[in-house]
Amino acid sequence: MGSSSSVPAEVQELAAKTGFTLEQIEHLHRRFKHISGDQPTIRKESFDRIPDLEFNPIRSKIVRAFFDRRNLRQAQGGLADEINFEDFLTIMSYFRPMEMNMDEEQLDCFRKEKLKFLFHMYDADNDGKISLQEYRKVVEELLSRNPHLEKESARSIADGAMMEAASICVGQMEPDQVYEGITFEDFLKMWQGSDIDTKMHVRFLNMETIAHCH
Amino acid sequence: PSWGGTALAVQRCRCPLALLFAGLLAPGAVSEFALAPSPDPASAGTPQAPNGTPFPESRLHVFTLDYPHVQIPFEITLWILLASLAKIGFHLYSKLPSIVPESCLLILVGLLLGGIIFGAEEKSPPVMKSDVFFLYLLPPIVLDAGYFMPTRLFFENFGTIFWYAVVGTLWNSIGIGISLFGICQIEIFGLTDITLLQSLLFGSLISAVDPVAVLAVFENIHVNEQLYILVFGESLLNDAITVVLYNLFKNFCQMHTIETIDIFAGIAKFFVVGIGGVLIGIFLGFVAAFTTRFTHKIRVIEPLFVFLYSYLSYVTAEMFHLSGIMAIIACAMTMNKYVEENVSQKSYTTIKYFMKMLSSVSETLIFIFMGVSTVGKNHEWNWAFVSFTLLFCLIWRALGVIVLTQIINKFRTIPLTFKDQFIIAYGGLRGAICFSLVFLLPVAVIPRKKLFITATIVVIFFTVFIQGITIRPLVEFLDVKRANKKQPAVSEEIYSRFFDHVKAGIEDVCGHWGHNFWKDKFKKFDNKFLRKLLIRENQPKSSIVSLYKKLEIKNAIEMAESGMISTAPSSASLNDYVEDKVRPLSPGEMDNIREILTKNLYQIRHRTMSYNRHSLAADASEKQAKEILIRHRHSLRESVKKSHSLSRHKEDNSKATRFLSLPKDTKLPEKLRIRNKTSFRVSDSSDSDLELATTVLNLKPRARKILRGQSQQQPLQQFRMEWRNEVEDHNGRGDRRETADQALSSIGYRQPLLPRPRFGTLSEENLTEDVRSTRPMPPPRLVRQASEAERCTNKSQINPY
Repeated sequence: MGSSSSVPAEVQELAAKTGFTLEQIEHLHRRFKHISGDQPTIRKESFDRIPDLEFNPIRSKIVRAFFDRRNLRQAQGGLADEINFEDFLTIMSYFRPMEMNMDEEQLDCFRKEKLKFLFHMYDADNDGKISLQEYRKVVEELLSRNPHLEKESARSIADGAMMEAASICVGQMEPDQVYEGITFEDFLKMWQGSDIDTKMHVRFLNMETIAHCH
Repeated sequence: PSWGGTALAVQRCRCPLALLFAGLLAPGAVSEFALAPSPDPASAGTPQAPNGTPFPESRLHVFTLDYPHVQIPFEITLWILLASLAKIGFHLYSKLPSIVPESCLLILVGLLLGGIIFGAEEKSPPVMKSDVFFLYLLPPIVLDAGYFMPTRLFFENFGTIFWYAVVGTLWNSIGIGISLFGICQIEIFGLTDITLLQSLLFGSLISAVDPVAVLAVFENIHVNEQLYILVFGESLLNDAITVVLYNLFKNFCQMHTIETIDIFAGIAKFFVVGIGGVLIGIFLGFVAAFTTRFTHKIRVIEPLFVFLYSYLSYVTAEMFHLSGIMAIIACAMTMNKYVEENVSQKSYTTIKYFMKMLSSVSETLIFIFMGVSTVGKNHEWNWAFVSFTLLFCLIWRALGVIVLTQIINKFRTIPLTFKDQFIIAYGGLRGAICFSLVFLLPVAVIPRKKLFITATIVVIFFTVFIQGITIRPLVEFLDVKRANKKQPAVSEEIYSRFFDHVKAGIEDVCGHWGHNFWKDKFKKFDNKFLRKLLIRENQPKSSIVSLYKKLEIKNAIEMAESGMISTAPSSASLNDYVEDKVRPLSPGEMDNIREILTKNLYQIRHRTMSYNRHSLAADASEKQAKEILIRHRHSLRESVKKSHSLSRHKEDNSKATRFLSLPKDTKLPEKLRIRNKTSFRVSDSSDSDLELATTVLNLKPRARKILRGQSQQQPLQQFRMEWRNEVEDHNGRGDRRETADQALSSIGYRQPLLPRPRFGTLSEENLTEDVRSTRPMPPPRLVRQASEAERCTNKSQINPY
């Protein structure tokens, strides 16, 4: 949209900061405007404008993730009330595809960032660990779409999973040892084998055609 | 004549023993003799009726040998038996199968046999008829592959697979065809009579990557699933293209003139063949799922439906000359999800094992037949043709993969590396499909059929032997990512589900229709309509919950099988419950059950299946498994009643396994029988714990239902348990303690209570002392701490779930 010379400096700055290309920023900006109703900032309620999100069982966690200051790299915890476009881009940058030209270290860093994003979604109270309670909450939310499933089953599933996590992360435990929660390192360990980083991205290049449909 | 002579001699002496001997020695002679209408000169010695009745008199034969009568089934059985024995033979040499894929060994056996038959009878051994192959031997293998195909991975990579299958096969066939034609033009080789169409025809049949061969070779090398699904998926999907091209070129060869309309018809045919096959498969898959909805009263024939409908889809597609392979794959994949929920656990196991058995037998037979058919007189060797065919196959495959990958990588989220490409190219094995197709060529149209046969055989042998044997060292050398054989874990399932939702959510926020969008839409449609229609008791299923249940069942069954239970509840007691309905058992029934169980507790385990053709009583071990699950669930309740705590989780299992490792005839201390002092009792006594009075009831080993059943119990007694997280130690963030009431009153059963806790500590009354005191006699090592046993179990099962 226009030659590069007419692109405002701030957009270029954004591009540099978040790693998106100019077209992608354009698209995301359009989307941002749609969600925010042409306001400069988005609040939690703005996400109600996205009808498809209704069916997502972990909707609240996703929405919350947008406002999580840890993801916005602003502070160590807490929630922002509203976010502007730059913050929106920051969150979206967690879902950028891995680029072929990144070197090992960058890749590793990128991967950690993505996993940290996920970790923050689990760790609601920001203590750096996913405790049993938090885990339970996650599982309950995940299974919330099944009306016939009682809370207790969700709970027992969460407990079982937590124990697995304990056995993976800590191995054999002493009888009196307390397993406090899944730390970020343990979390990393669990995702070790899977190629989550390659799966965790949205293909931003296809957005153009879709934007028209909306 | 010689037989007649013997009979004559025998008749003369009228000795029954001699007759017997003659009968044995002259197979078929006796029957022939009996049937021969005209009086045999040999019977001159016997009294003849005046008017020359047709049947000469003969004595009654004690033994008769009538081979022609059973010839066909007998030979088939012998072949299959031979194939299976050969397989046993290979596996006895443990080193051999890891170096040489089984397929090679089987072909060698076939060659050997073919050689023997050829040498003995001086005529070509029975060639594997293409009909037999396509109609009987191929479907089981493809069905097995389709039924157990990892659908998620398959659909994620569908674009790539389709691309390789269609465009790749086209590329290969045309490339090979044209280059071979070019070679044939060179006068020296003496191949000038092969026309372009014939070479194209040959190219089309030789470029088909074969699922049987791929399965056979890839099975042992365990490359990562992604790679495997690419090669294997390609081998399955290319059937559509192969069928079309083969028939197309064959018809073109027969037609005198080719018009453009025919070419378009050919292209249209491809779509019809592929899509038609898939539609037939899907349709029959749904019908099968629907049928199984009603089979709960007649469980024994459930597996039959799966096989019948799949086979039906295959032959229906073949009838219309559509792609049978695609039909059967589509049918199996469609059926899988719904059938699995409708059929009983046993039927599911039966289906699985029977399918595997059939496919294994088929595969073995195919390879042996290939070996046998190779020997014979239908060969024509021509150095140039054969070697160039081989060369071109390899070159075009490699080129094809490289070029196609460059293009498809732009659309893939995870681009394929060079290593992947190499394995894909190298894994393009040819096998029995090309073999059968080449035998099917009409000689009238292709005068040099024998040449083609020879070339095909050489290519197949090369790919199966050389490529098959070397692929394993290559995989190791290139350090290709291998499959990680982990046990499915609930936590992983949770993570992946969570991740899927996150991704879907973000895509929604972006307004982006990704893979997940369609997946979600399909899931919604599925839940709304399909599941209601096709599944008998439809509750929205979560994969997490079903995995959890599966693992639970598995655990329970493992425990039962390992000999822990020495009881066999009688069929009567457990037949009381109706598998399907969730209803609380009346107290009368409960008493009944309790009584019967009590009586039967100390019996040696034996199978008490009351067999009736239309229904099978639940198998003893399954019952025991259910027993265990029930007991698991109830033990808490009981223990609470008697103020005991019990672990419910794997800790249960580990405690149980504590008993497990006791020497067989350990006598459990009498103490364990005491009513008030029991912890987990399985091999335990009589009346004490059968306070199953507290209902269980719903013996169905499905967590949800058991949970529900238990929810009908009276609220449990208060049980002091503290769940300590980091709280006690680091007083940071408030009280995470969760007291028992919360945990228990919510219809306890699945309390993650741990006698030797891993999470937080547990302070309960009486647990430790009782457990220790009621410990069974033997090995002190076991006694010390539950955690030791737990550790041992844990070592053996990394993910206990």
